[in-house]
Amino acid sequence: MRRSLFAAGAAAMLALVTAACGLGSSDAGSEGNTGPVPELGADQRVSIVFESYNFGQAGAWTDTFNELIAAFEKEHPNISVTAQKPQGNSANPATDTISSLQSQLTAGSPPDVVQLGFSDLDFTVNQLGAKALDDLVGENAVQANFDGEEYPYAEAARKLGDWDGKTYGVPFVFSTPMLYYNKQLFSQAGLDPEQAPAKWSEVRDSAKAVAGRTGKDGVYVDCLTKAAKDWCFQSIVRSNGGRVISQDRSKLTFAEQPVVEVVSTMQDMVKGGAMPNLTQMQAVEAFARGDLGMIVESSAIQGTFLKGAGDEWELGAGAMPSFEGTQAVPTNSGAALFVFSADQAKQRAGWELIKFLTSERAYTTIASKIGYLPLRTGLVEDPDGLKSWAEQNPYLEPNLEQLGRLEPWVSMPGTSYLQIRDGMMEAVENVVFQGADAEATLRAEQGELSKLLPGGGR
Amino acid sequence: MTTEPVGGPSSVHRIAGHLVLGLLSLLCVFPIYWLYATSLRVPGDVSELSPLPWPLSTDNYADALEKNDVAAMLLNTGIVAVLSAFGQLLVGLLAAYAFAAWRFPLQRLIYLLFVGTWLVPFQATMLPNYVLLARLGLLETLAGVIVPNLCSALGVLLLREHLKSFPKELLDAARMDGRSSWTALWTVVVPALRPALAALGILLAITAWNEYFWPAMVLQRSNAVVQLGLRSFMGTEGNDWGPLMATAGLACLPVFALYLVLQRHIVNAFVRSGLK
Repeated sequence: MRRSLFAAGAAAMLALVTAACGLGSSDAGSEGNTGPVPELGADQRVSIVFESYNFGQAGAWTDTFNELIAAFEKEHPNISVTAQKPQGNSANPATDTISSLQSQLTAGSPPDVVQLGFSDLDFTVNQLGAKALDDLVGENAVQANFDGEEYPYAEAARKLGDWDGKTYGVPFVFSTPMLYYNKQLFSQAGLDPEQAPAKWSEVRDSAKAVAGRTGKDGVYVDCLTKAAKDWCFQSIVRSNGGRVISQDRSKLTFAEQPVVEVVSTMQDMVKGGAMPNLTQMQAVEAFARGDLGMIVESSAIQGTFLKGAGDEWELGAGAMPSFEGTQAVPTNSGAALFVFSADQAKQRAGWELIKFLTSERAYTTIASKIGYLPLRTGLVEDPDGLKSWAEQNPYLEPNLEQLGRLEPWVSMPGTSYLQIRDGMMEAVENVVFQGADAEATLRAEQGELSKLLPGGGR
Repeated sequence: MTTEPVGGPSSVHRIAGHLVLGLLSLLCVFPIYWLYATSLRVPGDVSELSPLPWPLSTDNYADALEKNDVAAMLLNTGIVAVLSAFGQLLVGLLAAYAFAAWRFPLQRLIYLLFVGTWLVPFQATMLPNYVLLARLGLLETLAGVIVPNLCSALGVLLLREHLKSFPKELLDAARMDGRSSWTALWTVVVPALRPALAALGILLAITAWNEYFWPAMVLQRSNAVVQLGLRSFMGTEGNDWGPLMATAGLACLPVFALYLVLQRHIVNAFVRSGLK
């Protein structure tokens, strides 16, 4: 009796679990469009859901996006948009984007348009089933949107959401790694406050000068920890002629000599007292407080630094430093807009929303109210656009200049892409901040993580 | 002549004990002090490390109130906390009464099933719960936050333990007086359990008040509860510490007030449980 009860209970549990796990999995990845989805009729009402991590942050971010959505609905009275932030419990909603989408796909109700990071591109296209925009609305329409009404997208930004020759995501928000520095501390250390260090050797020497003469910390390179992800680590590695993964993305290459050199250089800065052993958040707060001479950081954090500087110290900015005899290769962080809807009317409405959010008008609003880099770079020359904003923003120039030399942030392949990325960055962190041997640590980690590549890295 | 009890601790030991306890209290209070100190700094000084905030400013509170509807958030969080705690107490009380006052078939197995639910981590039941809510149309509602949390295994366990030591003779006497088991529950059992119910109630209400993970899953389109409102000051472009600390400071006040009101009952209940 007792045994049969347990068996019945176990069977019921199993049925529940399998039913729950099976829900909603049918839709992901389905294709099947044979031509562009039809335009919406004038009286055809459509409701779509737009998921963006910008709605997770109160203040300018949520307000600006709500304003844009309201303007879009006014322009398209037959489309109503419900905005939502990703589900999840991370302090930073941008890190919840993929898990949020996965759980909603499981529940059978994915959002129609989603803002997702470039490092998730492979997974977004091949596992989550983002729709190819070229298939939905035709390649010409996608390219016409990039060309814009007056100001086209920066050339380097156009293909960041492409996969296998098709555009899946329209690049939307964007930042590049910059070297920010504290002009007051530079003056106190006897350095030229108007000249940002351009080479890594200059960064090291300036950091030592700041640390030695002001008693504050020298430089923090926020590209060397798991928390920083790998976007600007890839930039430093590319600047030294290396790669973390082979060009055909079949082999991990982060134990090769150029990468070992990069990691050893950074370790030497920590050992030599030029770089403090801080967490990402500690370093950002210390720099904002005026207790750190320099920080290599995403241009997206600039607002925090300007607010921290206030009237007490002045912020300086330079491009990503380079190694001797080479030019720095900046990469980008940021996100693109993807369509996940399976319904044709919603797909068309989603495309209309994407066009609106990446229009000249929207970029003018977004750049001036939030400070994001406008991907239609010509807008900064337009007196009716962002010219006056650009003139008041002296930090924009190195950022725009870097766009011309930009290389995409390469996403890791397969379903274990996050483990590969995080494992690699943990190894880098161990070397730089915990003093582990660079070559041995990276080689051992590369061997382990290669097993997680599709096909086991063979 | 001394008033100290025979064999009691010497004054040196007492002073040392008080010193250790005082230091521990300081350690416990310091983060709360820092929270309020940061919230009262001038917005440009929120990263400062000086122990005394000066000059004082309420700008961070004004900023928090401007960016988020904090009053509505506190009200919603209060509703969630009160209804969740009330539901859990009611279910716990009825279940514990049944387990303690009656003998029925499969009693042990059913009790073990209750205990078993305590061992299943929330993350394991999260997705099925979410799917169920989606089907019931309860996503994006406060009911969606409350309903899956209406039963607490902890509540059942604690109340059953309290009821086990409740004298059966009183229940027998109530029955001989002609009271039904339902009337006996409310006129005999509940008054005797008041301290335990108050302690458990406040524990459950504070847990529901502080709950972050589940509301973050269910309420995707708004920051309806205060813990989600707190998160809205953190993001990709850095953290807005001033209004974050101000909102956290405001969120602590109702819990603190609740504790002050029910403090006597809680101490009572814990002392009694400890003496058993």
